[in-house]
Amino acid sequence: MDDKDNIALSVRDLKTFFYTNNRCNKAVNGVSFDVEKGKTLCIVGESGCGKSVTAATIMQLLPTLSRIEEGEIKFRKDNKIINIEKLEKNGKEMREIRGSDIAMIFQDPMTALNPVYTVGFQISENLKYHTNLNKKQIREKCISLLSDMGIPLPEKRVDEYPHSYSGGMRQRAMIAMAMACNPKILIADEPTTALDVTIQAQIFELMEKLKKENDTAIILITHDMGVVAELADNVAVMYMGNIVEAGTADDVLRRPTHPYTKALLESVPVLGRGKNQDINPIKGSTPDPYNRPVGCQFAPRCNWQTESCDIMPEITQINDTHQIRCHKYEQFFEKYNEKRNS
Amino acid sequence: MTTYIIQRLFIFFPMLLAISFLVYGGLELSPGDAVSHMISPELALSITAEQLEAMREAYGLNKSFLTRYWIWLTSMVQGDMGYSMAGGVAISEIMAKTVPATLELSLVALFFSTIIGCSLGVLSALKRGSATDNSLTVAGMAGVSIPEFFFGLVAILLFAIELQWLPVGGRLLPSYETVWDRIPNIVLPSLVLALMMTAGAMRYARSSMLDVLAREFITTARSKGMPEWRVNLLHGFRVALTPVVVLIGFRLPLLIGGSTIIEQVYQWPGIGNMFIRSVRGSDYPLVMTISLMYVFVVLTASLIIDVLTALIDPRVRLGKE
Amino acid sequence: MANSSLNRKFDQIKKREEEKTFSTNKRSRIVNKFLNNRLAVIGLIIFTIIVLASIFAPILSPYDPMRVDLRSMRQPPSFDHWFGTDSTGRDVFARVLYGGRVSIFIGLGSAILSAVVGIAVGCYAGYKGGWIDVIALRVSEIFMSFPQIILVLLLVSITGQSLFNLMAIFIVTGWGGMYRLARARMLSLREEEYVQALRSFGLSTFTICYKHMLPNALSPIMVNITLSTAMFILTEAGLSFLGLGVPLNIPTWGNILNVAQDILILQNYWWMWGPVGIVISVFVLCVNFIGDGLRDSTDPSQQG
Repeated sequence: MDDKDNIALSVRDLKTFFYTNNRCNKAVNGVSFDVEKGKTLCIVGESGCGKSVTAATIMQLLPTLSRIEEGEIKFRKDNKIINIEKLEKNGKEMREIRGSDIAMIFQDPMTALNPVYTVGFQISENLKYHTNLNKKQIREKCISLLSDMGIPLPEKRVDEYPHSYSGGMRQRAMIAMAMACNPKILIADEPTTALDVTIQAQIFELMEKLKKENDTAIILITHDMGVVAELADNVAVMYMGNIVEAGTADDVLRRPTHPYTKALLESVPVLGRGKNQDINPIKGSTPDPYNRPVGCQFAPRCNWQTESCDIMPEITQINDTHQIRCHKYEQFFEKYNEKRNS
Repeated sequence: MTTYIIQRLFIFFPMLLAISFLVYGGLELSPGDAVSHMISPELALSITAEQLEAMREAYGLNKSFLTRYWIWLTSMVQGDMGYSMAGGVAISEIMAKTVPATLELSLVALFFSTIIGCSLGVLSALKRGSATDNSLTVAGMAGVSIPEFFFGLVAILLFAIELQWLPVGGRLLPSYETVWDRIPNIVLPSLVLALMMTAGAMRYARSSMLDVLAREFITTARSKGMPEWRVNLLHGFRVALTPVVVLIGFRLPLLIGGSTIIEQVYQWPGIGNMFIRSVRGSDYPLVMTISLMYVFVVLTASLIIDVLTALIDPRVRLGKE
Repeated sequence: MANSSLNRKFDQIKKREEEKTFSTNKRSRIVNKFLNNRLAVIGLIIFTIIVLASIFAPILSPYDPMRVDLRSMRQPPSFDHWFGTDSTGRDVFARVLYGGRVSIFIGLGSAILSAVVGIAVGCYAGYKGGWIDVIALRVSEIFMSFPQIILVLLLVSITGQSLFNLMAIFIVTGWGGMYRLARARMLSLREEEYVQALRSFGLSTFTICYKHMLPNALSPIMVNITLSTAMFILTEAGLSFLGLGVPLNIPTWGNILNVAQDILILQNYWWMWGPVGIVISVFVLCVNFIGDGLRDSTDPSQQG
């Protein structure tokens, strides 16, 4: 990545393990991806596949009973490369990055805002630690951020407590908080899962707008293929701690090559195709993280499983952008294309 | 806010009235009447039935139950608490002597236990799983498990009898007049009382803090790149504070209950000591007045706690969620 | 550094995981977590030892705890009298064993009985609501307006002192907490779908709330029973220490300690009150460890 200016964050072979209940859960087990400036990377996968842990690792917001085992997280800050995984967890350098260079919004705006402080206070904290603005300027900035996010009467709302905000407004306030210092990267961990569908669309619209205006790179974590199709520039599909397929949105959505990606896409009903469309749910269920399959993690649920799947497949580059972790992808790719063509 | 307080008062007074009625009625059912406790066995042999009757009459024991309750209640509201049966001293006089002693002891103990307990609890939560945390947890459990009088007795043996640093008990010695003279007497009982309560406050502060630290807004706060002290204290402790304030309120009964036995151990001339004496002597007017005073204190405390909670936590104040 | 010790622990776990040598026994997760809690296991062991020692008191000690022996007054601990003898020559060790019977019986018995009353009322009132609930709630509030020890003393002065009265008083003062716990659980369970489903099958209220809902509230109730056992034992000891608990002729832990009010005994005859004080403290500590272990192991939100 070092020579590519357009890459804001590069993750290589990242492993994050959890050590709860005296067991070791390999939540993220060798993940690599790049985040480009001004582009949206969607990380898709079922719950428990390690996508949220990946996000928390980048921010070094992991719980106590977990640690980064190996790998690199390289972040480009003012033409300097910073290895985030080497920084002290709550040390000064890490804190300077958090909130100002990389910001995060969370799944549930109901619980992510502190109920005992006003929204304005919570936004201003971010500005207080990362800018040199004085009190008055901070307040003005808070109000203008809230109004940018489309919150009516921002002068009044800024002094209100989170509980008098609706769910959608709280998420807007969260975004305002995250965008306060114009971060280079915005990590959104399922930002709309807890919201109504109509509100969802508004939030995404807002994020698109911010991306275009500020050239912010967005890492959007979701389990919703519909969201991916709408917003993603690049997509990474995760399963049990690995990225099984990654590429541009076109690569992954139009030419899905990994059996899991394909199965994911087939399990989503498409609007307009009526009641009789074929929806193929994925057979079986995600394995127990403490009792993982030996080789390819998806093998037990895969229709194309063979003996060779007992060994973990390496990453194969199909073309410049499209990569996959599967032994059988060639045959599978052909069969899939045949089926599409017939 | 005002409506909230008025609502609470609507519960407060009927409750107090109902309890006073029950206590009055309850003591009515107790074996023997007060007169039989007032005369010594030797006197009982020589006393006549008429004399007994006259004594009953004098103490108003012959009227019907409801009438007596009504008389007692109205005089109580007017501030006349009646007379103790042992020695015929005015109860208000006894109260005036004993309540300040108990307040002095309890408040000193409350002050120390709250400060020590909260800071140790928060420390323990922040260092969760460490050796510090584990030993504090075990020490806290020991604190709630050792009977307070046993702890008090060991303290007397050690500091008063063996080392002779502090007096064995009592509050005011005849020639001791200044505040400084009195301090040695309060040290042992208040520290014993405080240590017993510290354990509870610490456990509670720890669990409340842990509870809050696991909440998502703590991650949010951390994701803003703020220093850990600000995340822990401003976002963590501030929210964890509400239940701790409630706890101190709930601990008030424990505090004045706990001081009852400690007062006995240290011969502290407080209300608890007086209560035990009145229970032993079946001095019903005194038993009744003191227990109602306890109820009054507890109810008032819980009222104040509710109001305080509402002030600290805006969700309660506005009646939402 | 705490960090490096944490890292070492992580390395150990990882190594075990890679060698697949982690314990794979089939015990339930709750039992496993409880057994992993060292304090809870130690507590359980000592608790069992003390309980068994009290039950088998006649085998462990040849002395009669009530028999006055004026030839052997105030003897310090010896081979014959492990904890020495008291002012009337009674063997203190035997008294501690027999006293344990009564004290544990009062503590455990009152805790269980007050739980039964509290749950019976709380489940029904919480599930049905209505006037039963209102009355039960008010009554429990009345009891909770007193400091516990004051209410107990007040009731003692009304009923007089006896073992039976004391237990009755403990139940009367103790059911409120359990009632509120059970009620709160029921109120939240009531809205759950399986309860709605059962109701739509036409099952009786009694069956739904005691057979289907109660088991789901059991773990906090168990924790509460252990903790109130500890509390009742301490209260009994306190009352007996004041001479207002169990009549003095019955040996209980509190009654044995009663002699320490005399400053001469406190100063000169430590064996009359020291060992029994330690036994009470250790026993209550063990009960609290067990309660704490139970709470941790049944609480799904706590990991670690």
